[in-house]
Amino acid sequence: MLNDLRYRLRALFRHKAVEQELEDELHFHFDREVEKNMNRGMNKEEAARRARLAFGAHEQAKEDCREARGTNIVELTLDDTKYAVRQLWANPTFALVIILTLALSIGANSAIFSVINGVLLKRLPYAQPERIMRIFLSSPDFPKFPLNPFDFLDYRARNHSFQSMAAFVRNDMQLSGVGEPMHLNAFATTSGYFRVLGIQPQLGREFDFKAEIPGNELQVILSDRLWRTQFSADPNIIGRKITLNAQPFTVVAVMPPGTEHPGNNYHSVAYGESVDLWSPFAFTGNSNQRGSHFMEGIGRLKPGVSEDQARAEMNTIMAQLGREHPGNDTGWSVLVVPLYSEVVGASRGMLMVLLGAVGMVLLIACANTANLLLARASARQREIAVRLAMGAPRLRIIRQLLTESLLISLIGGALGLLLALGGVRALVALLPANFPRAHDIHINWPVLGFTLLISILTGILFGLAPAVQASRTDPKQGLQGSRTTTASRHQNRLRSALVISEVSLACVLLVGAGLMLRTFLNLVHLDPGFHQENLLTASLSLPHARYNTDEQIAQFYSKLEASLNALPGVVSAGAGSDVPWTGYDENAGFNIEGKKPAPHQEFHARYHQATPGYFTAMGIPLHEGRFFTEADKHDARNAIIINRAMASRYWPNEDVIGKRITFEDQPKKDSDWMYIVGIVGDVKDQPNSTGAEPAFWWPQNQVPQSDMSIAIRTRSDARQVEDGLRDAVHRLDPQLAIADIKLINQVADASISTPRFTFVMVGLFAGLAIVLAGIGAYGVIAYTVSQRMHEFGLRVALGAQRDDLLRMVLAQAARLAVPGTILGLVLALALGRVVQSLLYGVSPADPLILISVAVLVLAVALLASYVPARRAAVADPMMTLRSE
Amino acid sequence: MTGRIELPQGTLDLIILRTLQPGPQHGWAISERVQQVSSEVLSIQQGSLYPALHRLERRGWIRAKWGVSDNNRRAKFYELTRTGKLQLELETEAWRKLSVAVDQILEGA
Repeated sequence: MLNDLRYRLRALFRHKAVEQELEDELHFHFDREVEKNMNRGMNKEEAARRARLAFGAHEQAKEDCREARGTNIVELTLDDTKYAVRQLWANPTFALVIILTLALSIGANSAIFSVINGVLLKRLPYAQPERIMRIFLSSPDFPKFPLNPFDFLDYRARNHSFQSMAAFVRNDMQLSGVGEPMHLNAFATTSGYFRVLGIQPQLGREFDFKAEIPGNELQVILSDRLWRTQFSADPNIIGRKITLNAQPFTVVAVMPPGTEHPGNNYHSVAYGESVDLWSPFAFTGNSNQRGSHFMEGIGRLKPGVSEDQARAEMNTIMAQLGREHPGNDTGWSVLVVPLYSEVVGASRGMLMVLLGAVGMVLLIACANTANLLLARASARQREIAVRLAMGAPRLRIIRQLLTESLLISLIGGALGLLLALGGVRALVALLPANFPRAHDIHINWPVLGFTLLISILTGILFGLAPAVQASRTDPKQGLQGSRTTTASRHQNRLRSALVISEVSLACVLLVGAGLMLRTFLNLVHLDPGFHQENLLTASLSLPHARYNTDEQIAQFYSKLEASLNALPGVVSAGAGSDVPWTGYDENAGFNIEGKKPAPHQEFHARYHQATPGYFTAMGIPLHEGRFFTEADKHDARNAIIINRAMASRYWPNEDVIGKRITFEDQPKKDSDWMYIVGIVGDVKDQPNSTGAEPAFWWPQNQVPQSDMSIAIRTRSDARQVEDGLRDAVHRLDPQLAIADIKLINQVADASISTPRFTFVMVGLFAGLAIVLAGIGAYGVIAYTVSQRMHEFGLRVALGAQRDDLLRMVLAQAARLAVPGTILGLVLALALGRVVQSLLYGVSPADPLILISVAVLVLAVALLASYVPARRAAVADPMMTLRSE
Repeated sequence: MTGRIELPQGTLDLIILRTLQPGPQHGWAISERVQQVSSEVLSIQQGSLYPALHRLERRGWIRAKWGVSDNNRRAKFYELTRTGKLQLELETEAWRKLSVAVDQILEGA
């Protein structure tokens, strides 16, 4: 054993000496054999010949001896690597082109993989995250709808599928009493919220069921960040009172760092450590009134209970509730969605498309490299023939060439990883703002592993075919020293096939990029229904403790609107319950005078509040009637303004102004009715929504709302009124925090950032692809031209025109590019379905895009072959004739 | 040349070890000696001899030393180690048993 190790180590580390000894030993043997033969009376030549015959293949014997040493693998690899380095060094341009293209493609793959790893593959940061489910209601009109709080209580009490269940709703708060008033992201949660997530507080304990009883809600759980930044990580904070919304809340717990928000749909807060505090949700009101839906459900399945079982049970419970509360609780089914799908579901499709695209780039790079290696292998035919003739086994040749490809791909991979390090940072910066788990995207061990894996795989993929090809070299032919080493017909076919596939894959990517570009442009040029320029928005929230009457709230916003309108540079200012494109989704059902809805198709619409100045400030046009005025007061007739979508859905071809709707089932007095006073233009929920939802607005003075968005339209740069806004608010109430001050452009930007991101990515990959395909086409054409120079010379000598030669070469290029393009377009059409969900306003079979791509690809291919074609055209007949 | 037999690997090892029993030899001498002693019936292809020598050396059954040959040239001499001698005894005995058994079967049939 010890001897074995010593022997192997010597063979490894005294490699040169051991090799020399082997050579000496074999040489000695050979000499003695010759000597013996001569002693038998042969002449010297004959003796040597016989000795050689007896000896067998010299190289083979050496190879077997090395094998016997038992260090063969390591030694051979070292040997092969040294050899490969020398080969690369001997042809640096070749090496550089290949390594750079591989680095770009591998780097792009690593970068995309790091996104996929962080977003899709990494487990959610909760205990047994696969058991956490989100719970929604669903009906034909509202496919994904929030829960009613009293329904939730029944779900929680009756179900046997969930270990724990909780509901939560956005409930931002203002912290005062520690420095500047601060607006905080906060949620009101039922008891058990953190049990569902499987996170224990680091201090204190989470809300118990008593906290859900009205009157007990002045409790709060702090995030680790808030505790550290605002309360200097006070270890005795439990039991301390802090001022939130001007009321004293008792701190009952501090969550540990890494408590990530699982996401929410309504007034959504980004994933991650984005929530500052949690307060108890108190169940108030009449538990038989179940019409209002605003809570988000979440639950942890019991071990062994499946998603389907839970869904079935929840639907049974919902059906019971439907019988107990006919009207409000009928017509709903319950959705039970794994938290994972809820978090990443929307991004999954896009990421898969990107992975597919970047994978294609890598395939193209492989084909490209294989192509260049094939070309070089034919140039190295002689060298390989010599080695084969010396008795080197075929496998050894393949191994050696594969070592070379692996060396290339590993260097490419290492460089690619460096590129990815920078690329990922740029990628994350480019990501849409609301992208889930963006903070989880890093270059880490899995990404390193992935890079290593694809580097090795690409090395084998692009290296194997050329290596096997080369090892098939016939030593006799290779050694015959022909004037030019000619590639076999088989090899030429392989190379053409590689170029054709490169071209077709590039086509697919270009079509993809074209579709994404059209989608992006369609979205950018979409009429949003309001004016985006010079519009500043912000949110305010009046704490209930100090603004507990409708009148106080209405007054505050009236005064604010007046003082904002008086600011220099302001065209118009107002306030509304929301600004467009922020995911606002509050709906109400109602009755229309003189109309009956179809069963389970109740009249419904989005509801909003607006001050008189809101529509002018937003630049939403008035179609008919009037805007609100200060006269739409508490004691005046109830007014509403509806949008065009609502007018045409419920009063098609009718005169709408003056029509009435009501929330009452049996309206009695005039004040039960709301009169339509105006129709405004449609604003879609999201820039890419197919149409606007029906919507109506209440005058803020009649139905005051304490949380409002402020909109200020200015003559020039809207940023300049920021200070004015702060002053105006603080003159009215110095303790109010102003949140989310932004230009509406930023909101608009955020809403198109996903398509922009997809376009930029696919565009980059397509650009890389077409360059690679161009290099591939150039490589093949240039190679065949150099092979056929002799023939071209002959043709010129026989009277062929220069133009004929040029045409001949270009025709050869076309024979590669045209089938490649056709194949690519067919492939792109077939793959169209995959990207359908990412497109807006463009069909995957858009003829303009398909034609442009075809023209572009053919142009690139011809351009790439033009240079070698020119070389062919100047073929010198004299050179040919002289060499014959 | 007729009547020569190629050797299976295990047997080759045994023969090499046996050839080395009298004292150190270099590769060429081993092959010559085997041919001589076996009345030209057995010949060892050099392509198999040297890998076998290297393998035996790795196993620690033989040891190599550089020395001077009878015609005054530098040559690599192999000699049996202690484990090699032991191995030779074991293998010789195994071979005897095998050959007796095979003989019996061949004659009995």
